[in-house]
Amino acid sequence: MSAADVGVLQRPNDRLRRRRAVNRVMELVAWLAAVLAVVILGVVIFSVARRGASALSLDFLTKPQAPFVPTAPQGLANAFAGTFIIVGLAALMALPFGVLIAIYVNEFAPKGIRNVVTLTLDVLAGVPAIVIGIFVYGLLVVGHHQSGYAGAFALGVLMLPLVSRSTIEVLALVPDSLREAALGVGAPRWRTTVGVVLPQTIGGVLTGATLAVARVAGETAPLLLVCSLVAPGTHYNPSQPLMTVPLAIYELSDSPEPADHARAWAAALVLILFILVVSLAARWLATRSRRKMAQAGR
Amino acid sequence: MTSLDVTGASRRPFSGRRLRLGDLILQGVAGIAALGSLVLVGLITWKVIEGARLSISTFGLSFVWTVAWDPVHNQFGAGSFLFGTAVTSFGALLIATPIAIGVALFLSELAPRGIRGPVTALVETLAAIPSVVIGLWGLLVLAPLLRDHVDPALHSTLGFVPLFGKASYGSNVFTAIVVLTIMILPIIASISRELFLSVPGELKEGALGLGTTRWEMIRGVVFPYARGGVAAAMILGLGRAIGEAIAVAMVIGSFTGISASLFSPGNTLAAWIAQQYAGLPTPLATSSLIYMALMLLVFSIIVNLLAQFIVRRAARRQGPSR
Amino acid sequence: MPRNGKLVRVSLVAAAVAAVAVVAVVVTAGAASARSSSGTVNGAGSTFVAPLVTNWEGPVQQQLGLQLNYNGVGSTGGVSAITTKQVDFGASDAPLSQFNPTCNTCVQIPWALAGTGVIYNLSGLQHLRMTGAVLAQIYLGKITRWNAPAIEKLNKGKNLPGTSITVVHRSDGSGTTYNFTDYLSKVSGSWKSHVGTGTSVAWPTGEGEPKSAGVAGAVRTTPGAIGYVDVYYAVHNKLGLMAVKNRSGKFVLPKGKGIKAAAQLDTHPAKDGSLSIVDPPKSKQYRNAYPICTYTYVDVQKSSGGNAANIKKLLNWAITKGQSYGPALIFEPLPKGVVAFDKKQIKKIHS
Repeated sequence: MSAADVGVLQRPNDRLRRRRAVNRVMELVAWLAAVLAVVILGVVIFSVARRGASALSLDFLTKPQAPFVPTAPQGLANAFAGTFIIVGLAALMALPFGVLIAIYVNEFAPKGIRNVVTLTLDVLAGVPAIVIGIFVYGLLVVGHHQSGYAGAFALGVLMLPLVSRSTIEVLALVPDSLREAALGVGAPRWRTTVGVVLPQTIGGVLTGATLAVARVAGETAPLLLVCSLVAPGTHYNPSQPLMTVPLAIYELSDSPEPADHARAWAAALVLILFILVVSLAARWLATRSRRKMAQAGR
Repeated sequence: MTSLDVTGASRRPFSGRRLRLGDLILQGVAGIAALGSLVLVGLITWKVIEGARLSISTFGLSFVWTVAWDPVHNQFGAGSFLFGTAVTSFGALLIATPIAIGVALFLSELAPRGIRGPVTALVETLAAIPSVVIGLWGLLVLAPLLRDHVDPALHSTLGFVPLFGKASYGSNVFTAIVVLTIMILPIIASISRELFLSVPGELKEGALGLGTTRWEMIRGVVFPYARGGVAAAMILGLGRAIGEAIAVAMVIGSFTGISASLFSPGNTLAAWIAQQYAGLPTPLATSSLIYMALMLLVFSIIVNLLAQFIVRRAARRQGPSR
Repeated sequence: MPRNGKLVRVSLVAAAVAAVAVVAVVVTAGAASARSSSGTVNGAGSTFVAPLVTNWEGPVQQQLGLQLNYNGVGSTGGVSAITTKQVDFGASDAPLSQFNPTCNTCVQIPWALAGTGVIYNLSGLQHLRMTGAVLAQIYLGKITRWNAPAIEKLNKGKNLPGTSITVVHRSDGSGTTYNFTDYLSKVSGSWKSHVGTGTSVAWPTGEGEPKSAGVAGAVRTTPGAIGYVDVYYAVHNKLGLMAVKNRSGKFVLPKGKGIKAAAQLDTHPAKDGSLSIVDPPKSKQYRNAYPICTYTYVDVQKSSGGNAANIKKLLNWAITKGQSYGPALIFEPLPKGVVAFDKKQIKKIHS
């Protein structure tokens, strides 16, 4: 650029001023959008925290629900127990299944099958939770009865694509050189996969698993259809329907009693805290395993 | 998600080496699991079709647009629910997309280094909030606010448009649209943000070097580059809105009919299914409910395949230059 | 072992511990529930009768040594639960003949009696007067403001505001809906031909809420709203309650006297156990009757398995001693003739 051109550029003309003004407006719009998103999140979390904190108490965590009996201490212990059991069972079902699918897709499948299976997982991930609920209702509840097992199965189906996809991603990151090296010293394929590749990915697998658990812990829709006819009091037997935290929130929200609303907020607070803690843990695991992967890749 | 299949030799099923029993077992078990996922999707489709069969044979395809839900006279149709799903989902998409793109641009181009990380984390936290919690907030905080302040204001200023009719219910279509907007905003924003970040630096630098303003660069380089991906993100957001049952059920006010006003209560396919969870009075009613679930299943598969197709086409067009 | 071997070991141990914990809880729960089922009776259904049944839980524990668990999911949920044998009893305000599929192997036993109150939210206006015909017009969407001439005519002297009427009804299958629509069909030919009677109907207008508590909650928080619930919810939440005109011309509230008078309409249950006491005709006997009353039923499988003895013990107590807990919750004690019929029905239950 010659000195003359620079001079031209330095003289702001109307067109340039307008373009700069438009640019500034657009930047402002983007800033506003970001502020709006942050404000929305802040308002929601603040509402939950403020209204929920007032109802949190030891009773809340340890005593079960007792509707229509105002003299009994009220809590949501039955919901916490039920969520723990049902989500635990769901993870037991989905994790091995999901990891095995990922192993097949990444270690053994020819390209065509790999595409079909990943497409299937993506489709499964997109099926609305309420439709999964109708499916499990037709499969396990019709002709039989509702149960915690049906609820766990429904949540497991929701977790499966999440666990599989994140495991596939992590497996793909393990460099082929590692596999070649193991095979080169005579290890069979299965030992290579289980003993060399998989341990490299454990951080990522755990990340995916914890994120999946966080996601389904708050899932209500399928439980409405297969695990909602719950008897009062605290129960632990999954062959009968068990109360769960999101279902409790859903039912308490309809009540005209302010005390019930307060309990719903408190349950929402506990749920959000649980999800936040789990997400943070998953993020920490992910960063840690990425660092290990980077080191191993050298 | 494309794996770097440099040699591929270590991943083929039969690589010409001695077959060990362990290999066969692992491959067999893992293969069965993979097959199981296909079987699962097939099973879901089959079970839903089976449950809907009575209603399909009674009403046929016209069920999809018939406006009726009368258990006393055994007349059922998904028309009003389909209308509600369409209005709430597209309404939410319309409002969420510009905001989401704004957020994505902010996070990829404009944010100072220190803010970028925390705000990204915040947006992703919004995505992690369960729908029942957003529904609770919508019902107890948002709905009264809208009913007492926003809806009447909109009605008094824009009431000549039938869209902004009389507002007496807090739980209505507009509240549902706002709630859905909050839920799909993070999805569209985070996918768009990753797309904008993936635009090659040289293209952006090149434009800026020619003297464009930042906005002109975004409009001329980033948007065209990321166009396909953003479209896919929008479609995924739409799919999420279509399938959302709980949050919508809590704030939409359960009215089975078609109304022009945003401030009247309404209903959607997913929310109605959730509301009838205790049971229905006749087998035809139950089957009709499952027919609606079948509609949702078909929509979600179409949405998913469409998004995949757009992403793959965009990836192919960009070629190996990434 | 690779570099993050420690992480692998730790996480495998943690996962194993978690899995063992879940399995242990499940197994001991199975054993525990097997033990406790010897003295437990589980039921589900009507939210209409839920206040009464849940208040029985304490006395039943004390006097009979039984643990009673009741879940108010709505009449439709209750009937489907007992049909699939998921509970020991189902509770419904609508007779079994109203449901399809229904429990063909059940006995139907009327075990409580109360009224469906018409609730509203207009501050400062106590006990508005209402007729069935006007109520039908409101629920048909034909009358949309509180100061409509038809309503003002009934409530001369009261300052009715111009607020729109926000109609609230049930979104789920409900025996209370059955009772309410049964009444509307009897007093309004227009309602009968357009909408009809049922546990779930095609509501011409208004918003739906799940369960009695949902309707009460919506009316409580929406100025200008109108709804229908079991009278307990109205009184307990201090909601406006309407005095409905009966055929004898009197405006009656759904309190004990009004319910008792209406109950005289039908004291002999039909063979299947159902009774209808809605809209008593004009007569000196029913002068004080509240027109929207209903019996509510408990449905039990005739062959109830191992728990039959406990169920029978509970039901015999419920229709006799249990009735004394009713009046405080605005349920009327059962008339003698109905109790006698019920005792015969209970005898039909065997293991």
